Amino acid sequence: MDAVEKANLERQKRWAKERKVGEGTYAVVYQGREVGTGRKVAIKKIKVGAMKDGLDMSAIREVKYLRELEHQNVISLLDVFSSKTNLNLVLEWLETDLEMIIKNHSLVFLPADIKSWIAMTLRGLEFCHRNFILHRDLKPNNLLIAADGQLKIADFGLARDFADPGYKMTCQVITRWYRPPELLFGCRYYSTAVDMWSVGCIFAELMLRTPYLPGESDMDQLKTIFRALGTPTEEEWPGHTKLPDYVPVGQFTKSSMRDLFTAATADCLNLLSKFFIYEPRKRISARDALHHPYFFALPNPTHPSKLPKISTQPSSRTLEEVDGNVDLDSPGPAVKAPAPVPNRLKRKLSSVSSNQDGRETYARRLDFSQ
Amino acid sequence: MATKTNIGGWLRGTTVRKGGSNSNPRSTAGTPVVQSTSTTIFGGGVKDPSGRVSEFSVHRLFTLGPAPCPICQKTLRKLAFTPQTFEDLQVEKEVAIRRRIAKEFNKRREDFPDLRSYNDYLEEVEDITFNLINGTEIERTEERIAELRRASAQLTSANAARELEYAASLQAAEEAEKLARQQRALQAQKEEEEEREERERERMKVIELLERSEMSEEQVKKEVERWRREREKKRLAEQRRQQQAAKTLRNRAAAQSQMLPDTPHVPLQDDYYAWQDKYTMLPTYIDPSHGAVMQDREGIMRAGGYRIEEAWERAIRSAVAGLDVMPIDDEEDQWNGTLGEGVTVEGAGNVVAASA
Repeated sequence: MDAVEKANLERQKRWAKERKVGEGTYAVVYQGREVGTGRKVAIKKIKVGAMKDGLDMSAIREVKYLRELEHQNVISLLDVFSSKTNLNLVLEWLETDLEMIIKNHSLVFLPADIKSWIAMTLRGLEFCHRNFILHRDLKPNNLLIAADGQLKIADFGLARDFADPGYKMTCQVITRWYRPPELLFGCRYYSTAVDMWSVGCIFAELMLRTPYLPGESDMDQLKTIFRALGTPTEEEWPGHTKLPDYVPVGQFTKSSMRDLFTAATADCLNLLSKFFIYEPRKRISARDALHHPYFFALPNPTHPSKLPKISTQPSSRTLEEVDGNVDLDSPGPAVKAPAPVPNRLKRKLSSVSSNQDGRETYARRLDFSQ
Repeated sequence: MATKTNIGGWLRGTTVRKGGSNSNPRSTAGTPVVQSTSTTIFGGGVKDPSGRVSEFSVHRLFTLGPAPCPICQKTLRKLAFTPQTFEDLQVEKEVAIRRRIAKEFNKRREDFPDLRSYNDYLEEVEDITFNLINGTEIERTEERIAELRRASAQLTSANAARELEYAASLQAAEEAEKLARQQRALQAQKEEEEEREERERERMKVIELLERSEMSEEQVKKEVERWRREREKKRLAEQRRQQQAAKTLRNRAAAQSQMLPDTPHVPLQDDYYAWQDKYTMLPTYIDPSHGAVMQDREGIMRAGGYRIEEAWERAIRSAVAGLDVMPIDDEEDQWNGTLGEGVTVEGAGNVVAASA
C-alpha cells in the first residue's frame, strides 16, 4: 500500500455513511456522520463508471471550486476521498433548500424574510464573483438552508472561473427559467451578469411563491421574458441582434411590475427591475445590489434563526399550522381549494381578486367579534 | 347685478359685463370687457391692503403677463396667486413658506452620519423658515438658501423622487385596501344569501318528507334536528380553522417581535482579504495580445456583457497576491526584508495574462 492509498484510507475512516437520501444522474447522496465528533454530514458519491470518458465534468468543477471557497453563504466541502472506483465528496449537512420552503404553502413569508434570503444569496454570490467564479446554475433548488437558517449556495457542478479574453464559454448553462436572455441568444462571452439575472428570478419567485418566468422551451423562455419585461430595443440593449442565435420573437410591450408585485415597496421594485436590465453591463452587480436602499429600509432583514423553516420535530407552531391545513393540503397553487394558511398572507399580499380573499377577511371578522 | 348681491358689492366695478345696470357710469352696453383703468382697480379688485385680491381682478390685471401690484408696485404674476385656505393671512403665508422650504430642504435622517448633525440641519432649516416668515434678513436668508441648494442639489432631487414614489405606493396600497373591503362586503353578502337559501331548502324538504314518506311527524322532527346539528358542526369546524390560521399568523408576528431583534443590514459580513489595497485599477491598459477582443468588431462581447476589465483585474490581483509569498529555498534569508508588506502595484501599463 503506497502513501497515497494510506492517506486516502485515513480520510475514509473519518466519515461514516448512514443512509441514502437521494440520487442524481451522476451521484448518490448519503447522510453520514463524522466518526470523531458525530457531526451530521452529506456524502456525495460520484459514479465514476457512469461516464465513458472518466470522471464527470461537474464533479471536477465542484471539487475545484468548493476546495477554494470558504464563506458562510457558500456550502463547505469538508473532505474528498475515494472508495473503490468512486469519488466521495463530504459536504456539510443542510436541512432543506429554498425550493422546498417556497413550495411549502403552510409557511408564511414576511417581507423581511425575503429580504434576508436575498441578502444572504447575494453575499454568497458576491464572494464567488469576487473570486472570479461564475456559479451558472442559481435556482431556489440550489440554495440550501442550514439548521441555523443560514442560506448557502450549493451545486457548483456548472461553475467556472471567468474566461480569459477571447475564450468561449458554453451558453448551455443555468436552468431555463433562470437563464438570462443573452444566454438564450447563444452568447459565448458573458460575465457575472448571468448570475444576477437568476437572482432576480429567485427574488421574484420568493414574492410570488411561483416561478416568475416559466418558459416551456428555450424559444418559449424568450417569449415569456419579453412578455413580462417587454421586447428589448437596440437602445436598451445595444448589439443584441448580432448575438449568434438571435431570432426575433415578436414585439411585446413592457407590463408594469407594480401590477404583479402589488405589495412590493418602491425600493423593492427598483432593485428587482435592476436585476432584469437587458444590457448585461448595466445589470446590477452583486456588490452594488447589497448596497441598494432596499436592504437598508425598514423592516430590517429577518435574523436567519427566525426565518420560516420546515421543521421536522413537532413544535407548537407547526402543529397549529398543520391543524389549520390538514383537510386541505393542496397539491399546488393552481388548486382552487379553500385557502390554506399560507395563502392567506400570499393572497393578501398580491390581492388577487378571488373569493378566497373574501373568505380570509371574513375569518378576520369572526375573529374580532369574539 | 347678480354678483353685486353675492359678494357684498365690492366687486361693483367689475360686473359691468352684465350690462343691466345704468347706475354704473363706466358701463357701456355691448362691450363686455372692462378696460383696466386705475379707477376700476380700486373700485373692485383689491378689498383691503392686506393683500387679498379677488379672482377676477387677478385675471384682469395679470392676464397679459407680469404686472406691478397696484398698491405696493411689486411685480407679480398670475401664477403666483393661490386660492386662500386660511382666514388668517399670516397663517396662509407661513404655510406657503413652509411648503416651499420643505421642498428645498428634504434631507432625511439617513442622509446624515449621526443624530447630532441631523438636528443641526433641522435647526438651520427652522431658522431660515423663521426669517422668511417674519421678514427678517430676507436677502441674507435667500442667499443662504441658494447656497445650501447648490451644495446638495443632487440629494434634494433624489429625495424628492423618493417621496413621490412613496406617495404613489401609498395610493396604490389604499386602492388595494379599498378593493379588498369591497370584496369582503360582497363575500359576507353572499354567505348570508347562502344561509337563507339553505334554510329555505330545508323547509321544502320537511314539507316533502311529511307529504310523501312514511315517516311520522316525530321522525321528521328528529331528521331536521340531525341536519341542523350537522350544519352547525360544519360551521364550527370552518370557524375553528379560520381562527387557527389567524392565530398562527399572530403568533408568528409576536414571536418575531419578542425574540432577538433583527439587526440592520450589513452589506458584506466576511473579512475576506482580496489584496484590494495593493493595486489600483486603471481605466484601460495596453494589451496587445487581446487587441481583437478589445475591439470586438462583431459586438457580441459587448451584448453578452463580457468585460475585459475583469480579466485585467484578475491578472493584476494574481500578480500582487504572490508578492508576499517567500520562495522556499535555502536563500530565504536573502529575500527577507527586501520584499515585504506594503508593496503596491499601480496597475502597470503592460499586462501579461497571468492566469492564462
